Amino acid sequence: MNTYVHPEMLVSTQWVHDHLGKPGVKLVEVNVDTQAYDAGHIPGAVGLNWQTQLQDQISRDILAKPDFEQLMGGCGIASRDHVVLYGDNSNWFAAYALWLFKIYGHPAVSLMDGGRQKWLDEPDRPMTTQVEPVQKAVYQAGFPDASLRARIKDVLAAVDAEDHNLVDVRSTEEFTGLVLSPPGLSETAQRAGHIPGARNVPWSKAVNPDGTFKSMDELRRLYFVDEGLQPSRPTIAYCRIGERSSHTWFVLTYLLGLEQVRNYDGSWTEYGSMVGLPIERGLAKAQVG
Amino acid sequence: MRQDMRVYDSILQALPGVDNPTPLVRINRLNPTPAFALYAKLEWMNPFGSVKDRAAARLVFDLVERGVLGGQRGVVEPTSGNTGISMAALAGLLGFRMRAVVPARVPLEKKVLLRIAGAELDVVSDALCPSPGLGEGSIALAKTRARAEAERYAMPNQYENELNARAHYETTGPEIWRQTGGKVTHLFVSLGTCGTATGCARFLKERNPEVRVIAVQPNPGHDVPGLRNVAELEVSKLFEPALLDEILEVDCELAYRRVLDLARREGLLAGPSSGLILEGARRVLERGGGGLGVMIFPDGIFKYVSAMVRHLPELAEGETPP
Repeated sequence: MNTYVHPEMLVSTQWVHDHLGKPGVKLVEVNVDTQAYDAGHIPGAVGLNWQTQLQDQISRDILAKPDFEQLMGGCGIASRDHVVLYGDNSNWFAAYALWLFKIYGHPAVSLMDGGRQKWLDEPDRPMTTQVEPVQKAVYQAGFPDASLRARIKDVLAAVDAEDHNLVDVRSTEEFTGLVLSPPGLSETAQRAGHIPGARNVPWSKAVNPDGTFKSMDELRRLYFVDEGLQPSRPTIAYCRIGERSSHTWFVLTYLLGLEQVRNYDGSWTEYGSMVGLPIERGLAKAQVG
Repeated sequence: MRQDMRVYDSILQALPGVDNPTPLVRINRLNPTPAFALYAKLEWMNPFGSVKDRAAARLVFDLVERGVLGGQRGVVEPTSGNTGISMAALAGLLGFRMRAVVPARVPLEKKVLLRIAGAELDVVSDALCPSPGLGEGSIALAKTRARAEAERYAMPNQYENELNARAHYETTGPEIWRQTGGKVTHLFVSLGTCGTATGCARFLKERNPEVRVIAVQPNPGHDVPGLRNVAELEVSKLFEPALLDEILEVDCELAYRRVLDLARREGLLAGPSSGLILEGARRVLERGGGGLGVMIFPDGIFKYVSAMVRHLPELAEGETPP
């Protein structure tokens, strides 16, 4: 078996190029670098800011249902549209946005494989600074699907029961406790290390040098053979604030077709700051020797 | 123009070439092996202050000759500072816009100098969680601007443009050959875009295949602006390992220490990349044997005062009254 379990969740740069301006296809760009969209984007794409638009600004939380509906309506996106997400860093925040779309039950949503960098590396792909006027739409979100999201209580239960694949997708330096976060980032935790029992599978292992996802065979070998995830177990993926782990959540859920994969968006900034909660440092026990 | 009197009609005439070489200065007190003559080529004596004047001029004049620049169109370039400063000065002289895209880690002095020289400036986050192929934010943002606003920006692209190496094949290499009377045996360079290493190595090895080219790189995770460890060189299309006889790795803290030695014992106010190269050259000389070595000293110290204080905090002690 060499095709992804849900191939419809990915579209190629060529597909996007062929569908520019087609009704019913809505391009949405979400980047780590919030100035990149203004510098240039795919014609017709809407830009969303992960810091100010994709999170609740009062409580640390995902957007509430009415806020998500208002954001989508303002972007001219309707529930029946095919939303295609893309962004920098091999689709980190595009994957986070896709996770949010799925929480609110959006039927047709895909990632552009390879993201912004692949588009840029292909010489004939157009980019523009023009922001096209949006025709507002009425967006009806579904009730949030809590099964896609792990909360701290779910993580604590999984640690106690030792019955989950607990996947830490950060860099090895973050996992072992050498650094609190990649340099220059403001969101950190009080302690450096990882959740007890977690395995370290950096998100980047799932992508090729051109930013596209590795093949089904390579992904199966990576997660199930090399890294020892058990397909029969439920899985929780986490990182620092939940964006890199959305990327791995996407791979495990839609490319490999695992059931019961949850993204822990509280991630290390929550777990590593909890009072009275022990952490682990160094390499994972299961990964030593 | 009176080259012998150093009187010029325009600063452009002061750009380097075989008839107007940058100085080659002998290292005396810091040479561990007097039998081996060691020289530094002072690239900060270029009109805009660094070795990058050579590539910047070659790349910009190529765009001018091809009619790419002018009207509303200027250049956008990813840079760790020096190339941008050279290009901004050239742009001001020639009357077109210049936008520099720099990583956040670039020293404040260079960012301010870019603004002083008239560049528009984009500052992008440094790589957060590296992954092969992710490239560098500054290169991606410059490419984006050149693609999305082609009427405003052309991108010379020092990381991929063969003319970068060509500039050194045509100027730096021939200057060294002539200044040493063809006696050069070793060339010591650092690696950034690899234009200097590749262009000089090609020229010198054509003249004498026995010339050894030694690249000195900082350790991974270093803090030497403008330089790359070989692991970070995937972005440069000009890296040609076959031209390098040896790649030495030096701890970047030693580079900052050597800056003090160069200033205090040789009177050379050289920047951290020069300190790194000196340390690498000394290690080769200490192995014994004779020869004539040339070190390319890319730029001077003035742009790195804040970096110096970060690495050697004692330099800032007592700078305010007690």
